Amino acid sequence: MKLFQNAQEFNYPWDQVTAANWRKYPNEVSTHVVAVDVLRRELDVSGTKLTSERLITCEQSIPKWLSMLIGCSNRSFVREVSVVDMNAKTLTLKSCNLTCAHLLKVYETVKYLPHGSDPEKTLFQQEAQITAYATISTLCNRIEEWSVKRFDENASKGRQGFDSVLQVLSENWEHRDKLVDELSTKVAGTVDEIRSTTDNIIKKTELKSTSLISHYSREIKRAFNQGN
Amino acid sequence: MGNVMSASFAPECTELKHEYDNCFNQWYSEKFLKGLSMENECSKQWYAYTTCVEAALVKQGIKPALDEAREEAPFENGGEPTDNSG
Repeated sequence: MKLFQNAQEFNYPWDQVTAANWRKYPNEVSTHVVAVDVLRRELDVSGTKLTSERLITCEQSIPKWLSMLIGCSNRSFVREVSVVDMNAKTLTLKSCNLTCAHLLKVYETVKYLPHGSDPEKTLFQQEAQITAYATISTLCNRIEEWSVKRFDENASKGRQGFDSVLQVLSENWEHRDKLVDELSTKVAGTVDEIRSTTDNIIKKTELKSTSLISHYSREIKRAFNQGN
Repeated sequence: MGNVMSASFAPECTELKHEYDNCFNQWYSEKFLKGLSMENECSKQWYAYTTCVEAALVKQGIKPALDEAREEAPFENGGEPTDNSG
């Protein structure tokens, strides 16, 4: 677990800052925030404490291989619960990511409170607790699992392909032996004819194996492209 | 800021959200901050908007993760994790 802390001042009174908080997005800086929704909102009986639950939608492009690997997409969601307390003069926002929470959890607490001596200023305090559940070995295991699965799929395809190549080759091999036998008994000089027959057999074998390899290479490529 | 308002994660709810936001922002500045309100207003706009959102949360498959987070850090607790957050 890692802790992140930050404190700042805003040159606006606290009540204005809290009103602006509801209109914070969209803004030019945080373009990754694409939507903000209110899921629940309640006012306490005294009418001085307002609690809101919001869903913040972010879109940030992450490398495709990474999103494939960790199983998270470009779109992510954050849940935020905020409390505006008019008596204590505080606005507290607590948020946590919903997406990828099995790998990484970021609990953020933001607090806005009036500046102690200057009523025209607001203090901003931020704290984030970051906990990573994914270790390098977890990620490595996932790469391995994925690779083994793909390898297994391709291996069985490759096996089928190679089997048929071997079959063609062995059939022709027997045939070739037969031709050689005939050749040695006849002793006649039709060398060219035999060579051309042998050439044909070899070409036929080549052709068969090339088409098989190109067929399966397409399969292999497709399998990898799915993951890219 | 100004009149630009954020969209809803579900495009079909964005217009309803804007209607609700308009009402809420006015209520917040004019009543809540001035201590003039004893109730959460804008209930009509809220009902229409939240009905749309609830359906979209289910449709887009966000609900399970949301429920889990709600259990971990309840609304009633101000979003504070109940315990052993890490």
